[in-house]
Amino acid sequence: MPSNDTKDRGARAAADIRPFQIRGRFFTAVSLRPESEQQDESFFEALDDQLRQTPQFFANAPLILDLEQVPGLNGTEVLRRMVETLKQRNLAPFGVQNASGEQVRAASDLGLINITTGQDAPLKAERRQKAIKAVRQTPAKTKTITLPVRSGQTVIADEGDLIVIGPVSSGAELIAAGNIHVYGPLRGRAMAGAHGDETARVFCTRLEAELLAIAGLYRTSESLAPEYGLQNVQAFLKNERLCVETLG
Amino acid sequence: MSKIIVVTSGKGGVGKTTTSAAISAGLAKRGHKTVVIDFDVGLRNLDMIMGCERRVVFDFINVIQGDAKLKQALIRDKRLDNLAVLPTSQTRDKDALTQEGVEAVLNELKEEFDYIICDSPAGIERGALMAMYYADEAIVVTNPEVSSVRDSDRVLGLLQSKTHRAEEEGAEPIKAQVLITRHDQARIDKGEMMTVEDVLEILAVPLLGIIPESPAVLRASNMGVPVVLDDPSAAASAYEDAVARLVGEQVEMKIGGERRPGLISRLFGRTA
Repeated sequence: MPSNDTKDRGARAAADIRPFQIRGRFFTAVSLRPESEQQDESFFEALDDQLRQTPQFFANAPLILDLEQVPGLNGTEVLRRMVETLKQRNLAPFGVQNASGEQVRAASDLGLINITTGQDAPLKAERRQKAIKAVRQTPAKTKTITLPVRSGQTVIADEGDLIVIGPVSSGAELIAAGNIHVYGPLRGRAMAGAHGDETARVFCTRLEAELLAIAGLYRTSESLAPEYGLQNVQAFLKNERLCVETLG
Repeated sequence: MSKIIVVTSGKGGVGKTTTSAAISAGLAKRGHKTVVIDFDVGLRNLDMIMGCERRVVFDFINVIQGDAKLKQALIRDKRLDNLAVLPTSQTRDKDALTQEGVEAVLNELKEEFDYIICDSPAGIERGALMAMYYADEAIVVTNPEVSSVRDSDRVLGLLQSKTHRAEEEGAEPIKAQVLITRHDQARIDKGEMMTVEDVLEILAVPLLGIIPESPAVLRASNMGVPVVLDDPSAAASAYEDAVARLVGEQVEMKIGGERRPGLISRLFGRTA
């Protein structure tokens, strides 16, 4: 039957165009946590004070009432008064948190939902201190080594330059994100610009290196021209070639 | 205050055990109460060089594991009253060395002895690390050739990073000195071996002494006599000079051997 046919097609079309999409959303809500069950003038004065200080931040902000400290604040009328006062102040209360059973019922009468998850915003003091400590421990950009770097040792300057005052033995490795300076004979390997910085350079007061590398381009002692041996030199990249030059 | 001195090198066969025997005998000869410990578990040799292999009943590992008392394991030298040997086990391996056990034995030895000489095994593994861990000073034995020098350099790196003194906050680092053994001026002149200056330039630590290549060393070893207790030889007097420097005396550095000028005059001869 043709009519049936049309209906069928209509149904198929409806299946192709979905009537809605469901997406997860995260957003920040402000939580207001009354510390006392006395909802008198002083409470609202203090609230107004707070709102005046940062009017933009709270305007139409989704707001949760945290009732943890006020288990006695449980009448529907009491809550309704509270919600209305908040709405007058351009706040948008939509839920309650840490509510007792009676409070949940009163809240749902007012159209507020009960929120059972979520973390309190102020982080615990201990965790905050840790974060500050981690920032302080960030190493200085330049790493300076004043002892000889022995065979088998690796010195890494992950963030900046590496300065070694003393000899670097054969079999030792120097790695730096930036430049490498060696005030002494360089007999080991030196890898500057380890993260790809092609402007990085290697300087040493006596070149006997096993390997020089800048941003991954390298030369071994075999391919380092012998005339630079034992001299005060710098190595740098020029036209994708590792060049070595004596320093005055 | 007793001192723990490790004799180490990285490379094998350079003369660690010979040096441990000679230095400990030299210290005892000077009147210091000295004990020498063999850390080369499984490849024990020190007792042979010291000539006491037939007197070994209990060993270092027995003491660590609590099977014997330290007094039972210590072998008193028959030639020198001040000298004792703590031999190691030939049947166990380096895993038998525990840090706590080594520390306990060293602490007990400190009560009696002025100098505790730790004869390290070759390599940089557990045995060598245990031998150096509690040291106050180090004698790094090196032959004047490139592979020995490079290995010594590696060991110097470990001494400054993998030891108790390195790990303890505020402690003085281990005082390391290099002892060049098997020094052969004729081969150096021919360019077959490195010069003393080259070795010191690479290692960048003070020189404790230069021991010449000498048949006296091998002969003494075969007879089980520390070279300083054997008949006088260039090697024996070089070791005695090294011991004198070790206890803080100023002794002029001599290149041993029969017809060699002193290092100083040779240095001047070179630079002039």
